[in-house]
Amino acid sequence: MGEAAVFFLHGLAYAGLLFLVSSGLTLVFGMMNVLNFAHASFYMLGAYFAYSILYLTGNFWLALIISPIILLVIGAFVERFLLRKVHVHGHVHELLLTFGLAYIIQEAVKLIWGTTPQAMPLAGFLADTVNFFGVVYPVYRLFIFCLSALLGLGMALVLFKTRIGIIVRAAVDDSPMVDALGINVPMVFMGVFAVGAALSGFAGVAAGPLLSVFPGMAGSILVDAFVVIVMGGMGSLGGAVLASFIIGELQSFGVLLFPDFSLALIYMLMALVLVLKPEGLFGEKQ
Amino acid sequence: MASQNAVLHRVGLALALALLLVMPWLLGSYQLRLFTEAVIFSLYAVSYNMLLGYAGLLSFGHAMFFGWGAFSFAVALNHFPGIPLFGAVALAMASTTVMGLVVGVLLLRVKGTPFALLTLAFNALVFAIGIKWHSVTGGDDGLSIACPPLNLGFTALNVSHGANLYFFTLVIVGAAIAFAWYFTRTAMGQSVLLIRENEERMRFLGYNTNVSRLILFVLSGALAGLAGSFYAILNSFVSLDAVSIEMTTKVLLMTFIGGTGQFLGPVVGAFFFTYVQNYLSDLTDNWPLIMGALFIGMVLWVPGGLAGLAAKLSGGRKQGDQDGTLAGME
Repeated sequence: MGEAAVFFLHGLAYAGLLFLVSSGLTLVFGMMNVLNFAHASFYMLGAYFAYSILYLTGNFWLALIISPIILLVIGAFVERFLLRKVHVHGHVHELLLTFGLAYIIQEAVKLIWGTTPQAMPLAGFLADTVNFFGVVYPVYRLFIFCLSALLGLGMALVLFKTRIGIIVRAAVDDSPMVDALGINVPMVFMGVFAVGAALSGFAGVAAGPLLSVFPGMAGSILVDAFVVIVMGGMGSLGGAVLASFIIGELQSFGVLLFPDFSLALIYMLMALVLVLKPEGLFGEKQ
Repeated sequence: MASQNAVLHRVGLALALALLLVMPWLLGSYQLRLFTEAVIFSLYAVSYNMLLGYAGLLSFGHAMFFGWGAFSFAVALNHFPGIPLFGAVALAMASTTVMGLVVGVLLLRVKGTPFALLTLAFNALVFAIGIKWHSVTGGDDGLSIACPPLNLGFTALNVSHGANLYFFTLVIVGAAIAFAWYFTRTAMGQSVLLIRENEERMRFLGYNTNVSRLILFVLSGALAGLAGSFYAILNSFVSLDAVSIEMTTKVLLMTFIGGTGQFLGPVVGAFFFTYVQNYLSDLTDNWPLIMGALFIGMVLWVPGGLAGLAAKLSGGRKQGDQDGTLAGME
């Protein structure tokens, strides 16, 4: 029982990271119809910036604040000066652009920080363990889950309780109409893209101490995040929550139960969803 | 004017063929090997462009066919001792065809962006199988192969390297590229082009658009598998590199840099990529960074690729779309 609880909590922590990455991805897709291949690269950049900040200042909390802000700026820049430029050429070019960006970021990271994995040592209460219903458990994994739950809650509040949220949701539904109503839709796109990048950056900072920082980290979470948004339904935030939970737990228990097939398991699940319900669990039928 | 153009065309084609035939006497052994590699990648890129350029299907998983072909070829050679060379190649193509059919039936249910990301996921799945199925694929160690001689009836040729390999590649891979060209000219091939432009209308005209797309998808996969088995012959070795995301990225960069709007664009791209990579990797270990920057620059400013640029500069537009780029994907 104790072991199962530990694996369940492990799964929750990974689900939290996955949700932070895939929520931005799915919102951007719902709004701009662009699948951002560089989204996981923002996650990796977030981790590497945090690593450098931690290395220089020794303060994890500073890294947790500054790194996502840098990514906010990078995200805004990418949307404004790169993505918007190729928009006229259609979706294929937008996809190709983000794919090229992911490729370049990957190589740049190798050039700047090297290819060896780097550890991010924790200090203070984050490095402790806690006795959780008789199970000794590291505080940091619980922290990751709380952080992503908090950010997710904040995102839900903004989306569903504020005027900005109404505009964003309307733009997801029908951006030409929102544009016609006199709202600066390109600005909204830029904002959402930037916030998505920052959320991905948050996930990267949080993942650093847990999984260490290495150039392959973008690729490994990218495929999982894609599976999440396909399963949850592309553009659906609620779907992203549920699918992140399923994939996170599946990864965690998959390693426990079928160590050789944990990778194949999520693809099989995705293939199953695809065959039974191609639009995803919460997606709209096209 | 038109007939004059046609004559020029024929003369150019004859000259190019003659040049290809005397290549082994012009190049040293290292350069000839590089040229052979470029020919193999040309087929890989041409097969990819059948999806991207003709059907408007953006795939991020083409290496699954390339690698599947390479591994099937190696497995056939290692598990059936005494199998003739063509037997192994045929087996590799057959197994890639079956795989293309299975994957195609699953993936072609969706279009556009979901299709693109599912191809990526399937590529990752095939890669995972490659790592885990150690007893067959050799896992991280890969498989070495001993290429059997090519039995021509009166004599047996060793085609594993040098000029023999070059001519063997030129004939078989060249024939496959020619077949791909022929296919795009047939009514079948043209119908795929029209489906890309207006699928609904094609359906009203009575075409089963799903079947047309599936046939194209399977053919494209089988040709990539053929390219993969030649890649295995060239290296006398197959590693997981052949089925990796990097191999998918490679074909994507080749095809796009070369130009998707024209049939020969990917061939131009394959040669460009192979030679530039070879040149850059001598200078710096960070050549992928330069290649990526070049790719982004092309996406931003030269969407028609090198072939599109050349066509624009010479003023003539053969096939392809009006601006030399592919049409938007819905």
